Amino acid sequence: MTPQIEIASVDKHYGAYHALKDINLTIPRGAFTALVGPSGCGKSTLLRSIAGLESITSGNLRIAGTEMSGVPPRKRDVAMVFQSYALYPHMNVLGNLTYSLRFKGFNKEQARKKADEVAQVIGLTELLERYPRELSGGQRQRVAMGRAIICEPKAFLFDEPLSNLDAALRVHMRMEIRALHDRLGATSVYVTHDQVEAMTMADHVVVMRAGVIEQQGAPLELYDNPANKFVAGFIGSPAMNFLDATVAEDGRSARLEIAGKPVLPLARTLQPGREVTVGLRPEHLRIDTAAPRLQVPVRVVESTGSLTYSTTETEPELMIVEQGRGRYRAGETLPLTIAPEDIHLFDPTSGTAL
Amino acid sequence: MRRILSSVTDGRGFDILLVSITMIFLLALSGMPLVYNVVMSFQEVDMFNLNTFSRPYAGLENYREVVSQPEFGLILKNTAFFVFGSIAGQFVLGFALAMFFMMRFPFAATIRGVFLVSWVMPGLVVGALWGWILAGDFGVLNAILKGIGVIDSTMFWKSDPRLSIWAVTIANIWLGLAFNMMLLSVGLAAIPRDLYEAAELDGANGWHRFTTMTLPMMRSTIGAVLALGLIYTLQQFDLFPAITEGGPANSSNVAQYWAWQYSFLLFDFAKGATVSVMMLGFVLIASIVYVWSTRHEVRG
Ligand SMILES: Nc1ncnc2c1ncn2[C@@H]1O[C@H](COP(=O)(O)OP(=O)(O)O)[C@@H](O)[C@H]1O
Ligand SMILES: [Mg+2]
Repeated sequence: MTPQIEIASVDKHYGAYHALKDINLTIPRGAFTALVGPSGCGKSTLLRSIAGLESITSGNLRIAGTEMSGVPPRKRDVAMVFQSYALYPHMNVLGNLTYSLRFKGFNKEQARKKADEVAQVIGLTELLERYPRELSGGQRQRVAMGRAIICEPKAFLFDEPLSNLDAALRVHMRMEIRALHDRLGATSVYVTHDQVEAMTMADHVVVMRAGVIEQQGAPLELYDNPANKFVAGFIGSPAMNFLDATVAEDGRSARLEIAGKPVLPLARTLQPGREVTVGLRPEHLRIDTAAPRLQVPVRVVESTGSLTYSTTETEPELMIVEQGRGRYRAGETLPLTIAPEDIHLFDPTSGTAL
Repeated sequence: MRRILSSVTDGRGFDILLVSITMIFLLALSGMPLVYNVVMSFQEVDMFNLNTFSRPYAGLENYREVVSQPEFGLILKNTAFFVFGSIAGQFVLGFALAMFFMMRFPFAATIRGVFLVSWVMPGLVVGALWGWILAGDFGVLNAILKGIGVIDSTMFWKSDPRLSIWAVTIANIWLGLAFNMMLLSVGLAAIPRDLYEAAELDGANGWHRFTTMTLPMMRSTIGAVLALGLIYTLQQFDLFPAITEGGPANSSNVAQYWAWQYSFLLFDFAKGATVSVMMLGFVLIASIVYVWSTRHEVRG
């Protein structure tokens, strides 16, 4: 696949603050890439660096093969959808859509024709004469999208575009943005702090923390093989349970540091006596009355009908997700088991996956 | 009783009370003198009937006389020059300064604050200050202009009839600059930064962003600044006695100073009133233009 955006050894400083640390990232043409991480980790800074709205301190950035250092944002041929939408309040929808065309030598009729096409694609035809203040949140979002696609840019950059919408609309727009991406064959970089958004929309997920890329890969690759404890805890909902444990004498099982010191068999051999952090996904902990590996008292049970979330009385507490309504109530003891290959192991000091 | 009381404390009664206090104040201190002034411009006023209301009706006689004064044309021209020159100068320089201080360089806010000095100073003080700056033989301005080679001979700013109106206009631009800059800074600061970023990514260069984002977004601020500039400039009086006294030979005389000269130097109150009523018409037209131009607010 041809790379559309290549980021090599990019660093960004805000004064003394090191916002991006040695970022290396290649985004293939036509790919949908999500940058995800907690607030303040540098996602927006990276996205804005691609757009040229921030200057990078060192490193190389290429878009469609062209080195971008010294190229101003307006010459980079990328479009951005802002969290605030940044619609031009003094122009109607038509004016917003066609603003970029006036710098590309379109005359009025050509621009109008193009705007009609785009309005058709994103369902704005009825709204062309309206002003941004007369639109709902979802409609503004659409105008922002339309403004991005009208100039057929080399890349679409999204900065948390859905965070101002209500939950239902967010889920809907998620699919719509992805469908639009596929239809246009565009290259998209999508910033979000919501790992569900990243996992469901993207082909390639980049997990960032404190200016560093912690791991990147296909969504399920990150879910199955998190490179470290941070990624393991960040990807997946509800979050992975972490427990301290010691590798038992046989080297093929781990003794958990919770009441009762239960022992879980491992899928591999480790040095006996070694301290590890064990990661157990809530959905991998299964109720097993026949041969339970650990018995834990339940403190809280919450059910949505389709799924049941149980929180245990243990220290640290565990979260268990069960299909259906759940057979156990608060105060009872859950008999649990987990497949050895579902157990994640991390080094307790570095957090790296073992 | 309680009904009346509660309607005063939390009902419409309280609103009406507040509005009426303001209205009475306005009527007594602005409305009455205004009407009195207009009435006086249609009467024959002299030292003997000054303390009565019933004076002989003069029709348009006062207006006819004012217009036929030999200095009328010159003063009209000077007033126009002073008003438009001041507003244009204050606005353009104020806008440039406001944009300059939007760039976040060290101490930007502090330096901007220092500019307010010109605004808090009384007009008479500013007048005296500029009187010295503009002085022919020992003035700083001449020294600077000579130093950088713009002029060879001494410019008599205050006493040369071709320059005297410039002298008061320059002083007035300086006086109103900070006010313009502050109002325009507030307007500029209210424009979201991401609009500029979006425009930049849409392909707009600096000039395009200024004309298609800054100016339209600032429309109501600009309207207010220009209207207030007009009002303050027409009110500007202190600078004239302090710098040129309208001279030499009325070459820097303007309507507001002329009205004062009629009333309080020549004690011709009717003509003084007539000149100010003519100015009132001018302000009214400008106000209507202002209200019309800002009739729809841009920000929503
Ligand atoms: N203009 C700036 N000056 C100084 N620090 C900044 C600036 N912009 C962002 N930062 C800092 O850089 C870090 C990353 O910010 P950002 O990229 O916006 O995070 P996020 O991942 O939430 O989008 C934050 O700690 C933020 O405080
Ligand atoms: Mg952000």
